[in-house]
Amino acid sequence: MYTGTNASSRWFSYIGLGIGVLLLLCSVQMFINIQQLLKEGSIRKDGFDFVSITKNITNETMGQPEKNLFHADEIEAVKKQPFIAEVSPLLANDFRVQLSAGNVLPFSTDMFLEALDNDFIDTLPPNFTWKEGEQHIPIILSSDFFEIYNIFAPGQGLPQLSKETAMGIPVQIACYGRDNALTFSGRIVAFSDRVNSVLVPKNFLQWANKTFSQKDRQDASRLFLKLKDVNDPQLIRYLDAQHYVINRDKTLLGRNKIVLQGIFSGLGIFGLLVVILALMLFSFYLQLVVARSRQNLELLLTLGYSPAWLGKNVSNQFVPVYIFIVLTALICTQLMQWAFHRFIMFNRPELSSLINWIVLLLAGVLVLMAIVTNARLVKKLLYRLG
Amino acid sequence: MKLEIKNLLPVYFEEERKSTSEIWGKERSFSNGDLVNIVAPSGTGKTSLIHFLYKMRESYSGSILYDGQPLSQFSKEAIAALRKDHVSIILQDMRLFEEQTILENLEIKRQLNPYHPQERIIEMAKRLGVDHRLNALAKNCSYGEQQRAVIIRALLQPFGVLLMDEPFSHLDHANAQKAIDLILEETAGRKALVLFAELEKATGFPATHLYHL
Repeated sequence: MYTGTNASSRWFSYIGLGIGVLLLLCSVQMFINIQQLLKEGSIRKDGFDFVSITKNITNETMGQPEKNLFHADEIEAVKKQPFIAEVSPLLANDFRVQLSAGNVLPFSTDMFLEALDNDFIDTLPPNFTWKEGEQHIPIILSSDFFEIYNIFAPGQGLPQLSKETAMGIPVQIACYGRDNALTFSGRIVAFSDRVNSVLVPKNFLQWANKTFSQKDRQDASRLFLKLKDVNDPQLIRYLDAQHYVINRDKTLLGRNKIVLQGIFSGLGIFGLLVVILALMLFSFYLQLVVARSRQNLELLLTLGYSPAWLGKNVSNQFVPVYIFIVLTALICTQLMQWAFHRFIMFNRPELSSLINWIVLLLAGVLVLMAIVTNARLVKKLLYRLG
Repeated sequence: MKLEIKNLLPVYFEEERKSTSEIWGKERSFSNGDLVNIVAPSGTGKTSLIHFLYKMRESYSGSILYDGQPLSQFSKEAIAALRKDHVSIILQDMRLFEEQTILENLEIKRQLNPYHPQERIIEMAKRLGVDHRLNALAKNCSYGEQQRAVIIRALLQPFGVLLMDEPFSHLDHANAQKAIDLILEETAGRKALVLFAELEKATGFPATHLYHL
């Protein structure tokens, strides 16, 4: 039917279609890669993001602790925001605390203690409880703090410790009030990656604050937030407006994610446009084919050939071409993903060397879309002839 | 198959044509076995009539019915089925695939709905004296040879109606008679209706009905 007529326009549309499909598939795969990388990168519990916020301490508010604390009404206001799932104030000690390792290690330091609702703790062992009258206090220590200890320990003549050993060492917690003091024995029961603090059970700290400090302090210096999405632009705008400071690392990650996803969304949309453009070019080519074979097609219709059958025959000739193009693009995407995983991401376990099933599905949908639009066009052209 | 025409007139003809014609503006009904000869001098709408009956053009008023079904209501697919199984045609302007051989042209038609085996093509070509041209490209054949190929092509399918528009215009008298004999033989086998439009009254065609257009 098409005896070498206008082969160049056909090849242009094939190549255009191939490039468009490749761009689209690669963008979707990269989009998925970013999702997977950043999902694994942030600390999530039950699909939520946890961050702590403080007030921004400026030259004007320095030395005025009441201005740098969250008051009850402010905490209520934060709770009301729709993008914040839950809020827990970090309660701090309002008395002097000294920590020592007793006779085991010649180590003693002034310390602070904080308490948080149990829901917000990522590594909560069952023995993290305290009852009034108990001498023993469980402690959850920030992994970061523990790391810092191991860095300065050799310089201080102290031994470096593994987490297991540290959990076995009993510590003395001395609490000093204005006219009373008590020493408790403590033990590290867990390490937390999420909370940068020294955590004790909340009821203990409430009791201790009442016992050692006459003031009944309710305000919190830090708020711990449970968020549906740390990258929610609404959240970032709200915090900026209130002059609250959020954990930098996490928003940086979030901001990077937004930029990267933006880039790949843009690339994906561009790929989709190229696909549409190529399909249009292809439809022009088909119209040309039909126009050039008009006489022959008309004669076939005159002889009694059915337009549906003829249309199917004409468009079926392009099915292997479409399958070949999309398959080639799929193989290129697979190669790209393999190289990305192997050479750029150094086989990180969050990613797979194989392309995602969504990309495979998309490739299938593209083939189907090309075939259907093609068949409809040819049928329409033939009906116009007959 | 029953073919009826009711009050038919090309839209580009004046109403007065109805009074002088035995077809235009009249009600006519033809059925199986009828051999209808329509005599039509140039310009009386002979080719228009054949094209209307084959739904190649629809620029007419009135109606055409096949077995009681108005032709205007046939879908594109129904028309294809009608042409494949029930109505065959010999067109004045022949219409062959010029880049194909005569045999290929005939096979394209035969394979659509094989009524005869391939050997029958050769037999019919022999009877009409074109068997030696079967492997020649259509464009290299004379009008006479092309016309005989078109006649054979029309006879390769099953049909209840055969429409013929000046089918022997490029044939001498002897060859025309051979063609008429073959057509009559084939239509008799199918008990088909033949509608034969010619400039003058056809000699050698045993018409059962004769109309002046």
